[in-house]
This record gives sequence, structure tokens and C-alpha cells, in this order.
Amino acid sequence: MFELSKEGKEFVKKELDRYEDRYSAIIPCLYWAQKENKGWISPEVIDCLAKEMDLPQSRIYEVAMFYTMFNKKPVGKYHIQVCCNISCSMAGGRELMGHICKKLGVTPEEVTKDGRFTVSQVECLGSCGTAPMMQVNDDYHENLTTETVDRFLSECK
Amino acid sequence: MLKCTINGKEIEVSSGATIMEAYHKLQEEIAYYCWHPGLSVAGVCRMCMVEIEGNPKLQIACNTPVAEGMKITNESEKVKESVKWTLDFHLINHPLDCPICDQAGECGLQEFYMTYGKYNPEMGDRKVKKHKVVDLGSQVVLDTERCILCSRCVRFTEEVTKTNELGIFNRGDHSEIGTFENRPLNNKYAVNTVDICPVGALTSKDFRFRQRAWYLKEFETTCNGCSTGCRVNVFHNQNGLFRVKPIYDEAVNGHWMCDEGRDIYKHINLDQRLRHSKAGAQQVPLEKALETAKQALKAAGSSAALLITAQYTQEENQAILDFFSNELKSSNIFYWKNNEETFEDFDGLLIRGDKNPNTQGLMNLLKEKSASGSWKDLKAKVESGQIKTVLVAGPEMLSVYPDLNEKVTVLSKTQTIWLSTCEHEFFDQLSLQLPVSGFAEKNGTYVNYAGLERKIQAGVKFVAEALTLQEIVSAFRGANVSKTNEVAL
Amino acid sequence: MESKLLTEHYDKESFRTLKGYQELGGYEVLKKALKMKPAEIIATVKESGLRGRGGAGFSTGTKWSFLPKNDEDRYLLCNADEGEPGTFKDRLMMERAPHQLIEGMIISAYAIGSKKSYIYIRGEYTYPIRVVEQALREAYDAGLLGKNILGSGFSHDMDVYRGAGAYICGEETGMISSLEGLKGQPKLKPPFPAVKGYLKKPTIVNNVETLAAVVPIIRDGAQAYRKFGTEKSAGTKLFSLSGDVVKPGNYEVTLGYKLSDLINNEGGGLKSGRKLKAVIPGGSSAPVLTAEEAAKATLDYECLQQMGSMLGSGAVIVIDDSHSMVDLLSTIMHFYHHESCGQCTPCREGTGWLDKMLHRILLGEAKSQDLDQVLNVAKNMMGRTICALSDAAALPAISFVSKFRDEFERHLKEGFKEGKSHAQMHH
Repeated sequence: MFELSKEGKEFVKKELDRYEDRYSAIIPCLYWAQKENKGWISPEVIDCLAKEMDLPQSRIYEVAMFYTMFNKKPVGKYHIQVCCNISCSMAGGRELMGHICKKLGVTPEEVTKDGRFTVSQVECLGSCGTAPMMQVNDDYHENLTTETVDRFLSECK
Repeated sequence: MLKCTINGKEIEVSSGATIMEAYHKLQEEIAYYCWHPGLSVAGVCRMCMVEIEGNPKLQIACNTPVAEGMKITNESEKVKESVKWTLDFHLINHPLDCPICDQAGECGLQEFYMTYGKYNPEMGDRKVKKHKVVDLGSQVVLDTERCILCSRCVRFTEEVTKTNELGIFNRGDHSEIGTFENRPLNNKYAVNTVDICPVGALTSKDFRFRQRAWYLKEFETTCNGCSTGCRVNVFHNQNGLFRVKPIYDEAVNGHWMCDEGRDIYKHINLDQRLRHSKAGAQQVPLEKALETAKQALKAAGSSAALLITAQYTQEENQAILDFFSNELKSSNIFYWKNNEETFEDFDGLLIRGDKNPNTQGLMNLLKEKSASGSWKDLKAKVESGQIKTVLVAGPEMLSVYPDLNEKVTVLSKTQTIWLSTCEHEFFDQLSLQLPVSGFAEKNGTYVNYAGLERKIQAGVKFVAEALTLQEIVSAFRGANVSKTNEVAL
Repeated sequence: MESKLLTEHYDKESFRTLKGYQELGGYEVLKKALKMKPAEIIATVKESGLRGRGGAGFSTGTKWSFLPKNDEDRYLLCNADEGEPGTFKDRLMMERAPHQLIEGMIISAYAIGSKKSYIYIRGEYTYPIRVVEQALREAYDAGLLGKNILGSGFSHDMDVYRGAGAYICGEETGMISSLEGLKGQPKLKPPFPAVKGYLKKPTIVNNVETLAAVVPIIRDGAQAYRKFGTEKSAGTKLFSLSGDVVKPGNYEVTLGYKLSDLINNEGGGLKSGRKLKAVIPGGSSAPVLTAEEAAKATLDYECLQQMGSMLGSGAVIVIDDSHSMVDLLSTIMHFYHHESCGQCTPCREGTGWLDKMLHRILLGEAKSQDLDQVLNVAKNMMGRTICALSDAAALPAISFVSKFRDEFERHLKEGFKEGKSHAQMHH
């Protein structure tokens, strides 16, 4: 059973009053709940938010399933999102993703056995001038080479 | 009022009306899926494209307001090409389920394919796979592959029942209709989503696989499930009644009906009917039964009693009440009111606690006859021996009279003639039972909770010996009302 | 040569702080604007010829004048969803000059009479969001936002709203839906946002760069702004240059600048030994230009429109002869398939169909007729949907296959040089 922390419940209350419409608080509250639920939105999270926000499950679930930044499955401690759109693919983004998957011994969207990594292919992240690049959790890592990627991965504990 | 021309025909509409509404007023054909007069405009199917003179771009009819002098057509090549391609897009991921899909014969895709399509499919790639046969509770089965994402059902649970069970999850061509975690759609109005679904994505559990739509006839009548009296269509063939759907009635039920009302066809079918008169547990011929009843009532005269439920038409009520007051000179009229505690209930939409179709009408007539007796009064008089002969105009819908057995037990101690549409083993304790017609088998009038009169009509006749109260009264007066044929199974 | 109307101080670290911004003249224009009449500001912006810098290129002053002339509550929404592939200019503006955006927004809000505005920033931009939120806190603390701004009697509240990953939220009504707490699905138009937008109230949606441009326009006047650019495309624009150039990055130049100059001067030209093959001038939705067309193009709305393409968001993607157009188009079709919101049928089904067809074509499992089928499907996805995503998916399909038909035909015969594994990794 997922239950929001005391802080989380206070955050929900605040967000419900922050915008002109209570429904607008759904996205911010999903972000918070995702952080408290090990990085993904489980059905229990939806039920919990429906109760805390007094909004229908269907509406919250629709939002959670519509946007890509809400994870529908558990993710590793480091969520590696490699851009494979035009400029990044021209700069070798796809090969880089293949390299990362091979190095970690994992297929896209799955979690490594030690729970540390998930690798995803994502669309344009607005960093085309510093391609190829990736987003790991909240941070951008740009102008990547296999060397810089390897060094980064080894530093991820 | 605004004037516009549709396909060369002039029509006047009120200001603010959309082109779609104008098409409907004119009863002119136009392709559409997501529009529904009882729901908000979605504009997502893109089928209702029309060409407006002076506008190079096609517009959707459902969201474009009519302007004075507008010249509209949906018969130009440009429109037909657009509809053909939009239909093609609807079909590229649609599974070829027609042979096993309930909707065949009344399917929106089939219908417009015949008008606008009739081409060979060009999509050679794999179709998107989604969830089939999703159990959504006691009433509805969902097949998300068949769904064309018109969003009618979502808007229904959002705007009409306000229960918000349904949503569209994911985006792009992985969008899927459903409930969160496949939780049941049990909001008491669920089957309306099956009605409004243009395809076989939402099907009725009750009707599933039971009959092909093209083998069904239909007739219009009034629901007898409660005092709201929704206007309905009853579907049938020689094998029986199969389903009930709502018909638009602005003053009573709008576009909808409740799920309880869907079951009102079941008790008319032969398997639940009282088919012959019985004395105790013994079957007796109709003429003999009618004669026995007539003699008993005439003998009792002014001490004969009538116990009546509000399940009969005005015409029937009038006939039986007049017989008692004029011929028998009896003032022993007793009203059998069921479920007192929930009688005044109303769920805010359509369902009322008074599970009788003609309470208002009966009350009006009882008032005229100054008849104010209730069951308690009758029970007292039977137990004291004052009343020895009772005619019961019993309920057609047995399930909404949970106190049935109690009444039968009391009345079995005296001479009782019980009129019933359906069979019940308890009735074998009674001196006499006679079969009467169900709501689908007679013409007449109900008066609903608001005093509105609505007609029912005789669409079928399954039990040859079943009579209306008027016919029974005629028999008491000497007319020959015997029937000889019964509907063959 | 770059023009530094907006980006003059972007290289200074302090420019993003309130103190640094004010030391370099920040918020002086706001003081000037608050002494003007709102109608004057709208007129100035209209006269300046400023056009929407997010992609549509609609006259900003004209858009503002669609608002009802009563005192009905109205909203200003800044579109910082920047999702058009190839575009990364708004990110730069928010990271280096958040106060420039805020100042431009307060002036615009004052002009249109709005008491509340939102900056809708795409969810992935965690760092720009932090920078902007910090700048907002500074602005509030300094009385530049909130009640009675600088004693002018004008009150305004501004807040940041974080998106959650959907390209379609860059469409103005998609963004409004998202802000309302719904799925980011565009709304039927009419009614247009200026009449009925956010929460059914009059709403103006403007791009980050558009709102920031209001600052120099009000500072120097409409005629000064018109000295830059062309007659119909006035002012300067930030172009996000990426792809096969030596120096990719954001460059502010006057509108009307030669595309080849941007590539060869600012962009440092192509990598050694490479020849130009194609250029996408305005983000992935803009029809591609062949090298010959690119040589003749100038970066303004009219020239590119006449050439059958568009200026769009100003994302210039340079493609040299080391790339396969089939591969690139397949990548683009995958993007639109992933991003279609799914509401209306031609787009939902058409984007999926195009993606599947291009994937087959890429793997060499297709025939020449399939190329015609791509053109046919794309053509019939256009002009029949609630928003322009369907057209945005169709236009690259049509332009790539039409202009590079020979390469596509050759690919069908010879297959993919790098082998199938490369293409399969793609999906």
C-alpha cells in the first residue's frame, strides 16, 4: 500500500490551492509521488492521489499515462535517457545507446539486476547543438563520447 | 432564426445551432461517430466534414455554427474523398471481428463503409494489438481493439452519470478506452454506453452472442420498471423479447434509461409466464376459470374485495374499478403499496423508488371512487371473516414486491382469485389464478410520477390465454374471450 | 554576422541574476512601459512587425488585439515547451536571461491587462526551470511582481508550470489543456484562445523569444526594430543550428540573413571532406531543402514559404552526404508517431501508418509503390485534423520522398549500407 509522507500530503494540499483549477495540481503531485515511490507510478500511487486530492482515478491515470516523464514501470537508480532524434542520431546517438546497453548488459526499458540502471530511448531534449547527449535523472550530459560515457557510468554507485 | 441551405435544401435553425444540428433537423444524411445530441461536442472522428461555399478548407459540421445564408454541402467530391480517407484511417487498425461481433448489422463502420468506402484495404502492415474481452462488471464487456476512440462513452460517464469511470489512456495509436485497473462499470446506467458505442467495443453482457441484429424487430413503448416511465424500444422476434433500448423523450428521460429497466423484457418471455389458469395446483380451462371467478364475485356481491397494485394501465384500472362499484356495488377497494421505506427515493437521474409504472394514474382513479383502503385494512377484514372473496390484480413485476409471500399466505385462507402475468409456486396455495397480459402485450396508458401520460402498445402476444383486465371484465359481463392459439416456440 | 539585440549580454554570468541584469539596464524598459498606456504598447508591438517566434509566425500585435476589449480576466501564457526537434534557443534564453523573459512578460501582461501569467516549461528542462524559478523569487522580492508593481498600480502574478514530456503541449491549446490538469490534447478552434482559452477565459499564448523581444521593441521603439530584418519579417531571430556543422549552437541574426552564411560563417561550415546534401530550415516539421535550394534561401518567413518550406522555430539542421535520407525520414516519422496525442483519427492512425511504412522501407522490405503510398497517406492526413501535428508529420514525408526519390528507390534496391542491425536498433 502506497501512502504519501506527511510532507507529501502537505505538498498536495498546497498545490491544490496554488492554481486556478484543482486538476492542475495533478502533474506536480504525480512528480512528487513518483519520487516517493522509487521512481515510478504504480496503481497504488493513483489510488493514493485520488484519495488525497479528491479527484477521480480515471482522470489522474489518464494524465499519468499520457506524459512520458511518468514511469509506468520501476526504473533503476540512474534513469539513462538517450536522445535518438534527428541531430543526435546524425551524431551517433543510437550507436551510443547500443554501446551503453551492451556495457550494462541490459535491454532498453529494463532495470539492471543490481537495480542501478535503466536505459531508455527518448525524443528531442532540446540539446541538438551539443549532440550526442543523454539525460540521467534530472541532469543533461552533453557532447558525449564513448570515453566520457564510460567514465560517467563507472562513477555511478 | 437563421436561414441556410444544405445540399440545395433550405432550412431555418435557431441562432447558435451547429451545422450538424441543422442536418438533423432536415433529416439529411451525414457521416459521424463522435457527435451525440445528449453529450458535449468532441470533434475527434473528423467524419462529418462539410464544404461551405466561400471556404476553401473543409469544416466539421458538429462544431461549426450556422451563419445566415450559409451554403453547405456534404455531397461534393472533395467531401466524399475526405470521408473515404477518414474512414480508411478508422479501419487500418480495426480487427476484422464482424463474424463474432455483436454490433454487426448496426455498426457505424459497416454503415459508412457501404456509403463511402467499398474499396480494397491498402494497409499491409501489422495492426496494433490491444486488450479484448475485458470484463467491466455485471453489465458491460469491453474490446479495446474495436474501439474507434470516439470518446462518447467517456463523455457519458463524465457528463451524465458524473461517475468518471471511463478514460482514454496512453496517446497516439496506443490510446485505449478503459477503466482504471479494469474496475467495474457499475453506475446503474452502464448499458447506455453500449447503446452509444458506434462499434462493438462496448457490448452488453446480457445480450452478448444471443441474437443477430437483423433478426430482430422493434416496437416503441413505455418502461414499466418505475414511476419515471422512460420511453423505450423493445426488440423481439418469434423466439421472444431480447433487449430494451431507450428512445429520446425530452420531458421524461432525455436520451437515457437505467440498467434496471433493461431487464423488463425478461418476465414477458415464456419461461417465466403463467400460461394457464389454475385452481390450487391444478390446471383448469380458461372458460371454467372465468366462470368460477364470475360466480364467486357475484355471490359475494358488496362484500367482494379488490386488492390492486399500480402495475396496470388506466384503461384496465377504470374497467375493474367500475365493475366493483357499479356491478358488485362493493366499496371494498384496497391499494397494495410495495416497499414503503424506499417509495419516495430518487437518485437524481432517472431511477425512482416507486417501482410501479402507473401509481399516479391509479391514485387519481381511487380518489374519484373515494377508495382509501390499504393492505392493513384488507388483512384485518379477511382475518375477522368480514371479507371472504378477494380479487387480486397482482403485480406484473414480482421481484419488486418482496412482501408477495406474506400476502399470499394471508389470502390463501380465504377464497382468492389472483391475476398474474408470471408464474410463482406460492400461487398454488390459492383457490384460483388467472394469467394476464404483460406490458408488452397490451395497449394502454400509464401516468408517470409527474402526471405525464405515456402509451404502451401491444407489440407481441406470447401467452394465448393471457387477458387484460378489460377483457376479464367483459368476460364477467358475458362476452366470449377464449383464445385458441399460442405463440409457437 | 550576428546581431545582438537580445543576446548582447548572454555571455555574462551575472546577467541571470537580478543584480547583474539591473546593472546592465534591466527593468528600465519596464519602468518606461508602466508609464505608457497599454494601447500604446500594443500599437508599438504591432507596428514593429514582431511575429511569433515559436513556429507559427503570426503577427504578435495582431494576436493581442483579438482579446475582448472589456475588463474580463485574461491570461498570458509563455510557451516554453520547446519540443520541435532541432530547437534549443528558448533553453538558452531561460538559462542565460530569465529576467529578460520576465521583464518582457510583465510588459506584455500590462499591455493586455492580464493579472496572471504562467511560464509553461517542458518537464525535461530541470535546470532552466530552477533558473527561472530563482529569477521569479528575486523579482517578487524586489517588488517587480505582485501587488502594485513599482508603485504603478498594476498588479501581476507569475508562476512556472512544469510539463511532463509531450511535444503536443507545444501547441497552444494543447498547452492550455495541460495547464488545466488534463491530457495535453489540443482543443477545437474556434473558439480561439484569445476569445476562450485557459479555463474558458481570454488567453494569449506567446513563445519565450517573442515575449523577450518586447523588451528591445519598447526600449528603442518600433522603427528601430524594423531597421533589422526585411519588410515583412522584421527584427532578429535566434536560430538553433545543429547537424553536420563545425560550430553548432544558437545564433541571433537579422531576419533575411542568407542561410548559407549562417552555415558557413557562424556555423563554421561543413566538416572537412563533406558536401552539403540537404537542410531542414525550421525544425522537423518544415519541408526539407535540397542543397541547391538551401544555397538560394534567406532566413525569413516569405522566402522559405515561397520555396514550399517554412521558417518555423528557426531550427536549422544541416545534413551532409554521409547520411541516408531514408534513415533520417524514418527517425522523423518515429518521432511523430510517438508524439501524436491520439485524439483525432487521421493523425492517430496516419502517424502510426507512416512510421510502419518507413520502417519497412528502411529495412528494404518494400517496393516502389510503397513510396507512392507514403505520399498518398501523407497527403490525406493534411487539413483534416484538430491541430497541425498531422500536417507536421505529413510535410517531411512528402518533401523527403519527393525531393530524394532517387535515393529512396536506390535504397529499396541496394538496402541499407550499414546493415539491418542499425535500423533495428532504432525501434
